[in-house]
Amino acid sequence: MSSLQSNADSTNSEPLQRSNPKKRRKIGHTNSPTLVPWRSDTQQRIYSSKLAHALRHVLRRNHPPPPAKSNTGREVRETADRVLAATAKGRTRWSRAILASPLNRWKLRRMHKKVRKAATGLAKRSPETRRRLPVVQKKARVLGRLVPGCRKLSFPNLLEEATDYISALEMQVRAMTALTELLTGGTSHASA
Amino acid sequence: MSSRRSSSRSRQSSGAPTSAGMTDAQITDLVSKLQQLIPQLRSRHSDKVSAAKVLQETCSYIKSLHREVDDLSDRLSELLANTDSNSAQAAIIRSLLM
Repeated sequence: MSSLQSNADSTNSEPLQRSNPKKRRKIGHTNSPTLVPWRSDTQQRIYSSKLAHALRHVLRRNHPPPPAKSNTGREVRETADRVLAATAKGRTRWSRAILASPLNRWKLRRMHKKVRKAATGLAKRSPETRRRLPVVQKKARVLGRLVPGCRKLSFPNLLEEATDYISALEMQVRAMTALTELLTGGTSHASA
Repeated sequence: MSSRRSSSRSRQSSGAPTSAGMTDAQITDLVSKLQQLIPQLRSRHSDKVSAAKVLQETCSYIKSLHREVDDLSDRLSELLANTDSNSAQAAIIRSLLM
């Protein structure tokens, strides 16, 4: 337990170039502040322990589990996202967006989709966007919708956010898979 | 600073760098970095992959990651609900994870 803490400290102080060399190659440093090394094992352990803590709180709230609505899965997902955003230390836009609007992001998304469909004709601005091909433009918009909080971002910033978001998501999947295996292994041991 | 916030797309002229202060080369660099992350496109040379393709694969990859996280959340919620009822397992998990 104490080793986890010391690992966390060393992660913060060690030069990030070593753990994730791909991110440091050519980009000017003004645009990419010290991002979290999502690939490192330590980071995953930090995330897993925070997630376990948070999930315990969720469970305590739901402990007489309401059998009528089984939306615990969504609560777990939202908790996992929030812990992920917290682990990102607020240096990226998507993490700040997740932390800023925890109240039913999914419902807001659906409302947004309806609004956007009505306003599509006005928002296109196609003659002025010749710089990017319209095909790339469309795909960039889709991407902007997928990454939280990045809908009105400029193209290069969107790409940056997307790279970080993908690494974070991959780590989230790895951590949750490990947690699931742990719990599954625990169940089979207890029953045997 | 403020130019970054305002919409960069409508202010561009064809040859100038974007108002975000980034040149085309940096954008290409970002696209190639993104390409390296996506497992489907990692093996291909970046010359053969267009930006549109990279973006498309990025979108589908993010969607699949979202689906995986959703699936894992559902499984986790079931497992945790079952586990909590058994205090012995909860103690094991607590000691291992915390």
